[in-house]
Amino acid sequence: MPDVSMAVLASPSEQVTVRAGAVAQPRRPFTWHQTRFLSWLVPALLVVGWELLARLGKIPPYILPAPSKVVATGIALIQDGTLLPDMGISLLRAAAGFAIGGFIGFAFGTAVGFSRIAGVLLDRTILMLRAIPFLAVLPLVIVWLGIGESAKIFLVAFGVIFPIYMNTVLGIRQVDPKLVELGRVTGLSNWNLVRRIILPGALPSILNGVRYALATAWLALVVAETIAASSGIGFLAMDAREFLRTDVIVLVILIYAVIGVAADSLARLMERRLLAWHPNYATEVQR
Amino acid sequence: MTQQQNVSACGPAVVVHGLKRTYGLRTVIRDLDLRIERGEFVVLLGESGCGKTTLLRALAGLDPIDGGRIEGPSRPAVVFQEHRLLPWDSLWRNVALGLEQNDNRTRASAALAEVGLGDRLDDWPRNLSGGQAQRVALARALVQEPRLLLLDEPFAALDALTRINMQSLVKQLVAEHQPGVLLVTHDVDEAIVLGDRAMVMRNGAIACEFTVSAAARSHRSHPDAIGLRDQLLSELGVGEGQMAA
Repeated sequence: MPDVSMAVLASPSEQVTVRAGAVAQPRRPFTWHQTRFLSWLVPALLVVGWELLARLGKIPPYILPAPSKVVATGIALIQDGTLLPDMGISLLRAAAGFAIGGFIGFAFGTAVGFSRIAGVLLDRTILMLRAIPFLAVLPLVIVWLGIGESAKIFLVAFGVIFPIYMNTVLGIRQVDPKLVELGRVTGLSNWNLVRRIILPGALPSILNGVRYALATAWLALVVAETIAASSGIGFLAMDAREFLRTDVIVLVILIYAVIGVAADSLARLMERRLLAWHPNYATEVQR
Repeated sequence: MTQQQNVSACGPAVVVHGLKRTYGLRTVIRDLDLRIERGEFVVLLGESGCGKTTLLRALAGLDPIDGGRIEGPSRPAVVFQEHRLLPWDSLWRNVALGLEQNDNRTRASAALAEVGLGDRLDDWPRNLSGGQAQRVALARALVQEPRLLLLDEPFAALDALTRINMQSLVKQLVAEHQPGVLLVTHDVDEAIVLGDRAMVMRNGAIACEFTVSAAARSHRSHPDAIGLRDQLLSELGVGEGQMAA
């Protein structure tokens, strides 16, 4: 009997039939371990290929040393006590510059986000400064501050200010005005309004700025250390260049990469912790 | 109109004299008088744009007023059409938002228990249904033990069944806490079910008001309820209320 009702609904040319094999079986998705394995496959093959080519002498050591050689150099440098102090100095510079730039960016961002007058007075100036690629001020910084610590910290701070500033302003302005109104109705003091409603509401945007600023800070540090430094891992690389120690140079590049990734992971961990309430972050798949 | 002697006599929740509110050249509220006793439930009906929400916002202290006087608590509690819960705070912290004492969690917990969510203290607002979220908003308003409770179409966004449950919950909680209530709504039936008094606002003034009899309040099909419903609908300019039945 169902055929009768079907025939009424469907014209003969589009007869409704059920074909067992025609229904597409959903592909079985990879398990977590399989995905993990496959995503690491290509980088692992690249490293193995690089090692083989270097061992077979297809790539001369002064162009690109074998990965095993780079690792051995790293261990040797740690053992003779030169690598870790230089890494420490570099991290300290990045942290100091980030703290200073972050504080300034956040302070101005908060002022402009809250106050229309501060916005009118400051926003244009800050946006004009932002138009300068921060690396372009490097020669001027060297003239002003020489090649000491302050020059590198300045450059890092200068690069960090703007992403933090922009995202703080944006975050504060995007806070739902209805929640702010609720805060007023509930009788919150200005301080509590900021603490309970405005800053938490702006936090996703601010943390986004932090992540971006971390990348900028790192870039600024690499450039500053490469051009003018007498310590730090950038200096290590430039010093190695004099002696064609490509193994040291590659090592430094890898360290920069690893620390950059670590900083970003840290920022993402912060996002997951601080924004656990936020549906976009709470369920974010760990990559 | 302002001399209603109603319900409990422990002083008025709010008294409004000659309130005026303008937007530019347009007068939204003109010379409005209103008195709400504590424990009294007043429902304000009116078409969109008649000034009822403006009146509520003025009473809430959210908007400035351009004339007249409001004698009432500096900080009435408000429940809005949207729940307006802070998504980054747990339910109990949301409820305790306006509290300053140290036993906040205890008080918030009691308030949440009153609205039937006593077991969800540490849950996030995003895990709530619309009705549950609005119940938390109600708990947040009542935990302050307000003298005046302002409800701005708090059930408008809820589905029909949830709305009925919310209405009886509000009725029960208002009876326990005895604040003066001003409920702004479009819903004539809601006005009859909940109100001690129902007022219709038109062109920025209160056009008429009706006392809702106890019989009308408790039985939808009581002749009083049907009669009042017709009266209110015709005051609102909606036919003769013939859809009732």
